[in-house]
Amino acid sequence: MERIERIAAGTYAVNIDGRRQRVYVAGPSSNAWVFWNGHVYRGDFSKASSREARGRGSVGQARQVLTAPMPATVIKMLVSPGQQVRKGDTVVVLEAMKMELPIRALADATVAVVHFRDGELVQADAPLVEFEE
Amino acid sequence: MIKRLLIANRGEIAVRIIRACREMDIESVAVYSAADNAAPHVTQADRAVAIGAAPASDSYLSIPRLIDAAKRSGADAVHPGYGFLSENAAFAQACADAGLVFVGPPSVVIRQMGSKIEARRVVQAAGVPIVPGETPDDQSDAGLRRAIERLGAPALVKASAGGGGKGMRRVQDARDAVDAIQSSRREAEAAFGDGTLYVERLVEQPHHVEVQVFGDAHEHTLHLFERECSVQRRHQKVIEESPSPILTDRLRARMADAAVRAARAVRYQNAGTIEFLVDLSTGGGDNAPFYFLEMNTRLQVEHPVTEQVTGLDLVRAQLLVASGEPLPWTQDSVHQRGHAIEARVYAEDPSSGFLPQAGPLLLYREPRLPGIRIDSGVVEGGEISVHYDPMIAKVIASAENRDLAIRRLTSALRAFPILGVRTNVPFLLRVLDHPRFLDGTMDTGFLDREGSSLAEPPRDIPEFIRAVVAYHNAQPAAQAAASGRLTAASWDPWNG
Repeated sequence: MERIERIAAGTYAVNIDGRRQRVYVAGPSSNAWVFWNGHVYRGDFSKASSREARGRGSVGQARQVLTAPMPATVIKMLVSPGQQVRKGDTVVVLEAMKMELPIRALADATVAVVHFRDGELVQADAPLVEFEE
Repeated sequence: MIKRLLIANRGEIAVRIIRACREMDIESVAVYSAADNAAPHVTQADRAVAIGAAPASDSYLSIPRLIDAAKRSGADAVHPGYGFLSENAAFAQACADAGLVFVGPPSVVIRQMGSKIEARRVVQAAGVPIVPGETPDDQSDAGLRRAIERLGAPALVKASAGGGGKGMRRVQDARDAVDAIQSSRREAEAAFGDGTLYVERLVEQPHHVEVQVFGDAHEHTLHLFERECSVQRRHQKVIEESPSPILTDRLRARMADAAVRAARAVRYQNAGTIEFLVDLSTGGGDNAPFYFLEMNTRLQVEHPVTEQVTGLDLVRAQLLVASGEPLPWTQDSVHQRGHAIEARVYAEDPSSGFLPQAGPLLLYREPRLPGIRIDSGVVEGGEISVHYDPMIAKVIASAENRDLAIRRLTSALRAFPILGVRTNVPFLLRVLDHPRFLDGTMDTGFLDREGSSLAEPPRDIPEFIRAVVAYHNAQPAAQAAASGRLTAASWDPWNG
């Protein structure tokens, strides 16, 4: 399983087609700049990951949702409804581009709904787990 | 010897001059506008003097403020860098009048070479070829047409009084010249209040090759070989290299000899550059025609290319010569070794007409690689200002031959992340990979003809890039930067 490795501020190493490459990132995800191998990418990278959660969670409502940041496979769903989680606990592990992507709880909460099982494919922006405080 | 040098410039060239001062135990004095308070040239100099508001006319172009700064700081000499006031004869004279050593030629030489007509006259008298042309006494349509017939078409008709391409018309055949003559005359009258026309033979698809010259106060004048600068966009050089890929040894020697003759003709002192057009339409080779274009009476942006192939320090020599010392080299002691190539990295957007870009340098990391020199005057967290030239850095690659130097420059640009402003790096990489560039046949019209085909086409964002952005935004620093906004997906870097 490939992993993203942080090298320095804004600097990441990642294996692409078996070769180790550097990727540089700056700015917030809603207006991020990325440099890789002489190419520059710029844009709103937040759309696929946080739209729904921001809408529900930021106004202090009871329910928060974790969504998938990109199309991926659910490797391991680590929680079930009714389970208590602490902020920072890994709740689900996804895999995309041969990279393992653990997703953590944003706050202490109780799991309300689990939308996927191990091995299932998820689309970008799909709700993964819903919580109640 | 100069003791304390005021640098009347900013950015990378000011930093470059500060470095030379440090090596020579000369105190450096930076000047800065309100936009440059924390710029590297200010923090690196031994002392710094504020000279005014951000617009260059209130600061870097203000002769009284610069002379005042020199006096207040106790400087005994002024280096103008390039651009700004570097070729302004009045500034050189103001320095001299204030008892300051001007690091450059005397003001009279700047004035002489600054006049196109006078410069042509002087170098032609010294036996240097100029593009055949004349301002005919008979300015009637018929008189101008006869002048074109004497020169041979294709030809250019242009305003005698001015430059900048105003009134310039191309004439393919002398018989069809009347329309071009009349419209050129109208435009010249409108632009300069003077409809006098000049006709010149058109050199088609020329190469721009320039020769670095140096003179001192002891009657020594020598050359430091050539730089090929044909990769230009609207007369703005983008990539420069030495040696030129199109010169034979014999042609190189002829051009160097002509450049030295031109410099001697004006008793040139300090660093200067003689620009030539080379005409390969007759097949090139030892006897290819070349013509004097103009002389730059200052250090050039692209001087590092010459420093890399000769191993010499041009700024140090400028300071020695300005101090009245003899040149530290003789013609026989200078050699051109290997190959050096420079790319100018600009804050500009090739996909929208090369519009200059301004903004913060959110991330800026210069690669440290063997054979790579980077001259810059910016730092991460700094700002590319709307007020000045948008050049961010010069990347210079040196290697044993041209192919290896191009490969080295390409790898360096691929490892040079600049984020926060659009740059021409993707464009430069496409130029460096173009067949006409690789075989060395690019003429001065190459970039303008290729135009937008060299801008990077829009690309889909690869999934791994999205993954890295998501991972980045899960980092504590990124989360803090996002000011507490809720982020749904958090990639745990330590728990994979």
